[in-house]
Amino acid sequence: MSEAYLTTHFGEKDSAKLDFYLSHRGYESARRAIGSMTPSEVVQLVKDSGLRGRGGAGFSTGLKWSFMPKPGQDDRPRYIACNADESEPGTFKDRAIMERDPHQLIEGLIIAGWAMQAKAAYIYIRGEYVHPARVLEAALREAYDGGYLGPRVMGTDFAFDVYLHRGAGAYICGEETGLMESLEGKKGQPRKKPPFPANYGLWGMPTTVNNVETFCHVVHVVDRGIDWFRGIGTEKSTGTTLFGVSGHVVRPGYFELPLGTTAREIIFEHAGGIANGRQLKGFIPGGSSTKPLPASAVDVRMDHDSLAAAGSALGTAGLIVMDDTTCMVRASKVIAHFYRDESCGQCTQCREGTAWLDKLIGRIEAGAGRMEDLDLLLDVANSIEGVTICALSDAAAWPVQGVLKHWRDEFARHVKEGKCPFPESFEV
Amino acid sequence: MPKFTIDGKEIVVEPGTTILQAAKAHGIRIPYFCWHPKLSIDGSCRMCQVEVEKMPKLQIACNTPVLEGMVVNTQTPKVEDARRAVMELLLINHPLDCPICDQAGECKLQNYCFDYGMRHSRYVEPKRLLSKRVDIGPRVLLDEERCILCRRCVRFCREVSKTGELTVHNRGDHSVIATFPGQKLDNRYSICTCDICPVGALTGKDFRFKVRVWFLKETPSVCTGCANGCNINVAVYKDRIYRYLPRRNDAVNDTWMCDDGRLSYGHVQAEDRIRAARMIEAPGQPAAEVPLDMAVDATAAALRQARDNDGASALAAVASARATNEDLFVFTKFVRGVLGVERSAMVVPAWEPDGFLIQAEKAPNAAGARAMGVGGEDEARAILDRCERGEVNALIVLGADLLLAGEREKVLTALRKVPTIVCLDTHESELSRIAHFVLPACTFAEKDGTMTNVKGRVQRIRPAIRALGDALPEWEILGRLAARMGQPLPSGEPREILKELAGEVPAFARVTPESVGTQGVTLTVVA
Repeated sequence: MSEAYLTTHFGEKDSAKLDFYLSHRGYESARRAIGSMTPSEVVQLVKDSGLRGRGGAGFSTGLKWSFMPKPGQDDRPRYIACNADESEPGTFKDRAIMERDPHQLIEGLIIAGWAMQAKAAYIYIRGEYVHPARVLEAALREAYDGGYLGPRVMGTDFAFDVYLHRGAGAYICGEETGLMESLEGKKGQPRKKPPFPANYGLWGMPTTVNNVETFCHVVHVVDRGIDWFRGIGTEKSTGTTLFGVSGHVVRPGYFELPLGTTAREIIFEHAGGIANGRQLKGFIPGGSSTKPLPASAVDVRMDHDSLAAAGSALGTAGLIVMDDTTCMVRASKVIAHFYRDESCGQCTQCREGTAWLDKLIGRIEAGAGRMEDLDLLLDVANSIEGVTICALSDAAAWPVQGVLKHWRDEFARHVKEGKCPFPESFEV
Repeated sequence: MPKFTIDGKEIVVEPGTTILQAAKAHGIRIPYFCWHPKLSIDGSCRMCQVEVEKMPKLQIACNTPVLEGMVVNTQTPKVEDARRAVMELLLINHPLDCPICDQAGECKLQNYCFDYGMRHSRYVEPKRLLSKRVDIGPRVLLDEERCILCRRCVRFCREVSKTGELTVHNRGDHSVIATFPGQKLDNRYSICTCDICPVGALTGKDFRFKVRVWFLKETPSVCTGCANGCNINVAVYKDRIYRYLPRRNDAVNDTWMCDDGRLSYGHVQAEDRIRAARMIEAPGQPAAEVPLDMAVDATAAALRQARDNDGASALAAVASARATNEDLFVFTKFVRGVLGVERSAMVVPAWEPDGFLIQAEKAPNAAGARAMGVGGEDEARAILDRCERGEVNALIVLGADLLLAGEREKVLTALRKVPTIVCLDTHESELSRIAHFVLPACTFAEKDGTMTNVKGRVQRIRPAIRALGDALPEWEILGRLAARMGQPLPSGEPREILKELAGEVPAFARVTPESVGTQGVTLTVVA
C-alpha cells in the first residue's frame, strides 16, 4: 500500500472536512497550478503524466483536455462535467472518494477548470448516492466559504463554480453524452457523434467529461510531478487505481494499488482469498461490461494493455470474483438482464439485441435451451457490438462473448441436462 | 469542395454534405429508416451504416460528413451483414401483419425485407405484445407493435409542427411512442406523421382500411385548400379519390401539407356536386336539368339579349379565386371582349393563417386572378350594390364565393333582383339554387391548368379523375358561350391558353408549360 496517494487519509477522523484537508497540503496543487502555471502547461503536464481516464475507457486525460478549444479561438463558455454516476455494476470506488475525501475531488476540478479555462463544473452524481451527495454538498459549501470556489478562486482573478446534480437512476446517464442530456433536463439518451463534446457539449458549449477518480489523480500529478507519477504502475498505465473487489472473497472492498498489480495479488492478498474455502472459478476484471476471465488467467496484470491481451479490459477496475459454485449462465443472465433494463432504446441493435440476449440466456438457464442457441447467442452478441451510438450494446455483448469463450460447455450442460447444473449457485 | 470516392465513383460535394446525401444525389442507394430530408438527423436506426476506409467501425451514412479523400463502400459483406442484422432485430418483435396493414406496399420495412430480410426468423422467444390501436389523436391511430421507434414522428412534432405532443415513453425494449400526459396528437399537420412513418405504426383514420395502396394511381397536382398551393399527389382508384399525399417542393411545402387541405379531397366527389346543367325555362318555374348544349345555347341567348338590349352597363361579372389561370384568362377575355364589361371582381374566402403553410386566403388562385386584373371584394360589393339597386340585368358568376361578400340574406336579396344570373360552379350553393342558368364546372382534380400561389408561384394541376357528369372546365364553357354569342374567343387546350396568357399579361411573361414543370415558376414582378 506504500504507493497509495488517493486514499492516504481515508478513514481518518474528519477526513471530509476542509480543515483536515488544508492541514494535509490541501488545495496546494490548485494554488500552484493557478499561481505559477499557464493553462496549457497544466494540460501538457497531465498529458505527459500518462494519466488515463478512470471511468472505464482509459483514454488519455491530457489528450482529452487538449481537444477543448482555446480561449481566443473560441470564446464560448467552457464546461467540465464530473462523472460521478458510477453505475457500472461492481464499481464503488468514486463513492469512497466522495464520502471520505471530497475536497480532493473539488481541488481536481479546480485544476481542470484552470487548465481548460472552464466557467464551471457540474458533478453528476448517481441518485442512489445520498450520503456521498450530502458530504459533497457540505464540502462544496466549505470550499465556497473558504474562497476556493466562486468569483475569485483563492484570491485570483480565476472564477470557477462547481454544481452538484443528482441523477435519477439510469445507467445510461453515466455515458458522457447521456449525462449531458440528463444535466440539461432531458431524457438520458446518448448523443450521436459528431459533434463531439469538446465542441458541442453541455448546452452546446465545449465540454469535457471525466470520472471522479481521474480528477483526483490530477491533484497529485501537479503536486509531485510526472516522473513520480510515471514511476507507479506500468509504462502505459501509470499511477494507482482503486480496485473495487466484490463477490466471493473474504474481504470485499476497495484497494488502492498500482495499475499492473496482478489479479492474484488483489484477490488473494488484499481481498483475503476466496470465501468459505471454495475455489476461484473466474472473475470479471473491470465492472460487469468487461469479459469474464477464468481462474487460469488470475496471474494477469490489471492494466489496460495486459487485460486487453488477455481478452478483456480494465474497465472501471471493479473486480467481481466468482467461486466454483457459480453458474456462469445465471451470472450472464443477471448481467444481460441489467443491460436490457438499462438500454435507452434509441439504437435498433441495443434496444432489440439486449432484450434478445436476456431472453435467450434466460431460456437456457431455465433448461429450455437448444444446442443451436449457443451459436445464435454469440451471433446476436456479435451483431450488436460496435454498431450503435454509445457503448452500452458493447457492454451487453462483451460479457456474453467472454462467457461463451471460456464456459461454453456450461451452456451446453444446461441444454443437455434440461436444467441448471449448479443447485448451489447464488439466488437471483 | 471535398472530393471523395464512393463505391469506386469519384464525387465532388459541397462541404458539410453527408455520405447519405451525396449517395442519394448520385443514385447510390443506401437504406435508412430514421433519416428524413426535412428533419434533424437522429442516427438511431443504424440501417445506413457504410464502411469508411481508415475507420475501424462502420459509420452511419446519415451523420457522417464527407471529408476530402474519404473512401466509402456501401456494398461490402460487412455492410450487408450489418444491415441484415438491423433488419433481423427490427423484425423479431414486429407483428408481420402486412396482410391487414395499410402501409403494406409503401412500407420501408417491407421493402428492405426483400433486400436484407431472412426467410426464416431465428427468434423463438415470445414477441413483445403491445397495444394495436392507440387513439393517439383525432386523425391518427398508433399501432405500437408495428413501430420501429425511428422517432420521425417525434421530431416532426418538435421541429415542423412545433407542437411537441409526441415522445418516447419508457426505455430500452419497453420504449413506445406516446403523447405527453393529457395531450393528443392534435395539430394542424398531424397526418404528416403517417406519411413519414416508415412502417404502419401511424395510420390516418380517414385512409385506414379504405384501399390497398398498390391500386392507387397518383397524379401530381396542387392542393386547392388555401393560397399556399402545397404540391400533392392525388391518389385515385377506379376513378375515386382516396387521398392526397404531399409532394416535395422545397419552395412551397417541403414535404408537408396541413390536415385540412389533405382531407379536402372528399369535397371533389361529394354529393352536392353539380353534375348537369340547369335552367329556368319559364319565369316562376323551378330550374330543370337540361342537356349541357341546350343550357349553353340558352345562356348565350340570354346574355346576348341583355347585352344588346340594356348595354354593357347593365351587365356584371364575378370571377373566382378557385379557377385556374387559364380559366381566368378566358373569363377576363369573355367579360371584356364578349360582354363589353371592363372589370370583374372576386371575393376570396379567408381563414386564420398559421405562419407556416396555412395562408389567410382560403383559395388557390387569388394571386393569379389579381395578376390578371380581377378586382377585389370592394368591387364585388359594388356589384352587389348595383344588383340591389336593380341596375344589373345579367350577372355571370364563377363559383359561389360572392355569397361571402356580406351578410348572407342581404347578398341573396340583392341577387334575387337580377333577372339573369349565370352560374358556373362545381358545387351546389344558395347561389346555384337561385341562378337562372347553372353550368356544371370541373374541379381542379378533373382538369388541366395552372394556379398561382400566394408567393406568385405558378404551379400545374392535372386531371386525376374523369369529369363528373356533364362538367367542363370553365375555360371551355366560356369558349362555347362566346362562340354561341357570335364572338369566338381564341380557344385551345390549357397549354395554348397559357401561351397566350404569357404573351398578354406581363407578369406571366416567363410562364410556359416547360418552365412550370413539376415544381412551378414564379411570376415576374411587374412594376
